[in-house]
Amino acid sequence: MAPVTLKSVTKSYGATSVLHGIDIDITDGEFVVLVGPSGCGKSTLLRMIAGLETITGGAIEIGGRVVNDLEPKDRDIAMVFQNYALYPHMTVATNMGFSLEHRGGSKAEIAERVQWAAGILGLTHLLDRYPRQLSGGQRQRVAMGRAIVRNPQVFLFDEPLSNLDAKLRVVMRGEIKGLHQRLGVTTVYVTHDQVEAMTMADRIVVMNGGRVEQVGAPLDLYDRPANLFVAGFIGSPSMNFIEGELTPAGFKAGNITLPLPPNAPTSGKATYGVRPEHLMLADDGVEAAVRLVEPMGSETQVALSLGEQSISAVFRERIKAQPGTTIRIRPDANAIHLFDATGTRID
Amino acid sequence: MKTDLSPRMKTALYGLMCVLLIPFVFPTWWMITSSVKPISDIFAFPPDLWPRRFDFSTYAQVFELQPFARQYWNSAYIAALVTAGTMVISSMAGYAFARIKFPFSNAIFMVVLLGLLIPSEVTIVPLFQIFLGWGMINTHWPLILVPIFGAPSVFATFVMRQFFIALPNELEEAARVDGLGRFKIFWTIALPLAKPALGAVAIFTFLHSWNLYLEPIVFLSSTQMFTLPQALTHFTDAYGGAMWNIQLAAATMTAVPVLLVFIVAQKQFVEGLAHTGLKG
Repeated sequence: MAPVTLKSVTKSYGATSVLHGIDIDITDGEFVVLVGPSGCGKSTLLRMIAGLETITGGAIEIGGRVVNDLEPKDRDIAMVFQNYALYPHMTVATNMGFSLEHRGGSKAEIAERVQWAAGILGLTHLLDRYPRQLSGGQRQRVAMGRAIVRNPQVFLFDEPLSNLDAKLRVVMRGEIKGLHQRLGVTTVYVTHDQVEAMTMADRIVVMNGGRVEQVGAPLDLYDRPANLFVAGFIGSPSMNFIEGELTPAGFKAGNITLPLPPNAPTSGKATYGVRPEHLMLADDGVEAAVRLVEPMGSETQVALSLGEQSISAVFRERIKAQPGTTIRIRPDANAIHLFDATGTRID
Repeated sequence: MKTDLSPRMKTALYGLMCVLLIPFVFPTWWMITSSVKPISDIFAFPPDLWPRRFDFSTYAQVFELQPFARQYWNSAYIAALVTAGTMVISSMAGYAFARIKFPFSNAIFMVVLLGLLIPSEVTIVPLFQIFLGWGMINTHWPLILVPIFGAPSVFATFVMRQFFIALPNELEEAARVDGLGRFKIFWTIALPLAKPALGAVAIFTFLHSWNLYLEPIVFLSSTQMFTLPQALTHFTDAYGGAMWNIQLAAATMTAVPVLLVFIVAQKQFVEGLAHTGLKG
C-alpha cells in the first residue's frame, strides 16, 4: 500500500497537448476512480502512472518516490487491462504466477500465492484451464488474480468491466469493491461509466479535455457539482439544464417561473439545474407536456416539454400520464443547482 | 461459415472438384507408377494408369548410379539449416519491424521488401563472384547463406511482421508490468503465440530450399556435394539420354518427404497465412 501523488502532470504528443497539468493526491489505501468521456485523457493518465506512457512534464510519486523514469516493473504496481491481456498460451495458474516467476520467486512460494489468490477469487477449480476455455467474468477474475498475487503497492484498473454484459458488470463491480475492502490496496480505476464511479469510489476525479474538472466523494459530486460539465456527467439520467434569468420572484425561463433555493441570488442570467429525480408531481407546479413515458418498474422515467425546453423526470410512483397529455411538476427547491455564464456553480 | 447445399449442388460441386484435381494428381500418379515400370512400358500407347509389370529394381539402381543417400542427406541438412536460420532471422526482424519504434522503420522495411522484386537469375553471377572470392564454391555455404539472407527470408520476415502487428498491445504491456524486458517479451510471449506463422514460414522455407535448383547447379560441381534436384538430372545413360524410370524413382523419393511435411502441417500452413492476411 502506498499513496500516489500527481504533481502538475502533463502529456503531449508532438505539438498536441492531451493532459494540461494534473494534480491529484491519492491517499494510502484509497479507491479513486478517474471518470470522464472518451478522449478526456483518463486512460493516458493511468498508463502514465503505470509507466506505459512517458511523462512530458510534472512528477508522479508512488509511496513518496518519484517514478517518472522507472520501468513499470520497478514501480510496484499491478494493472488490470480492458481486454484482460491474459497470455493465451498459458494456463490460469501460469498466468497468475508469471510475474512472480520472473521476479525470482521459488516454486513453492509461487504455488502458495497463486492458491491464495485463486481462493479469494473462486478460481481454484479453473487453475489448469487456458483463457480461451473461460467465460468473460472468469477471465476478468484471472486478470484480477494476476494483479493481486504479487501484493503490489497500487492496483491500476483500465476500464476492466467494459467488455462484460450489464448483469455481470454489476456482479464484478461488487467483487472488485469487496477485494479492495479486503486487501486495502491503493487503487486507481478508470471508467467512462459514471454509475461504476459512483458505486465504487472513495473519491471520484472527473476529467474533461485533459483537465480535472472536480475531485470529491461520490455524493459530494452529486450534491454539489462544481460546474456544468460535472453536473451533467454525474447522475443518471442526466441533470436538466434550463437557461433563464434570476429574479426576486424566482427563476424565469420564458413564461415559466421556477422556485429558487433559499439565499439564492436574485438577478442575472444563469443556468438552472435540476436532477430528474428532484422533480415532483404537484398540483401547484408548472405545466409540462408529456412526450414519452418509460415505466421501469421501480420508477417511471418521463420525457417532458417545459415551455420550449426538453427535460426528463423520474418519479417513484407509477404515473398514468400518456404522451400528448400534460402534468404539473415542481422542482425540489433544496436540490436546485445554479450556474453562471461561465458554467461555474453559484453558491 | 456453414452453408447448406442441396444434394444436387453438392454432387455437382464434388464432381467439379474431381475434374479440377486431375491436373494436380495425374503427374504425381504418373511419376509414382512409372517409377516401377520397365523403361519400355513408360512410353506405351495408350499409357497405362496401372503398371502391367512391376520393376522395383529402379529404386536400388538410384543408389548404385549416384551417391543418392549422401545427396539426400545434403538436401535434408541444408534445408534444415536454412529453415532454422530463416525462422530465427525472420521472427526477430518481423518482431522488430512490427513492435519496436525506431527511426525510418517503415522505409527500411520497404527497402527490405524490394529485395523480393529482384529475380535470383540477376544476382546469381555477382553472388558466384563473391563466394568464389571467399573460397566457398563447391561447398554448401552458398546454398545455406543465400536463402537465409535473401528473398525467402524477406518473405518470411513479411509474414512474421504481419503476424506480430496483429498481436494485441496489451499483452506486451501486461508483460512489461509483470517485469519482462524486450527480449523476454519476444521469447516468452510473442514467439510462442506466433507458432502458426512460424509453422508456415518453416514449411515454405523448407520447400524452397528442398526444391532449389539454379543455385546448386551454379555453385556445386561434384556429385558428392549435389542436392536432390540437381542429382535428378544426372540419371542418364552413356549417350546422355534420360533413364526415365530410374529418374522417376529418384523423383518419387525426393517428393515423398515434401508431401509428408505438407500433409502433416497443412493446417498450420493455412492458419499461418491467414494471420498474415495473404489468404482470402
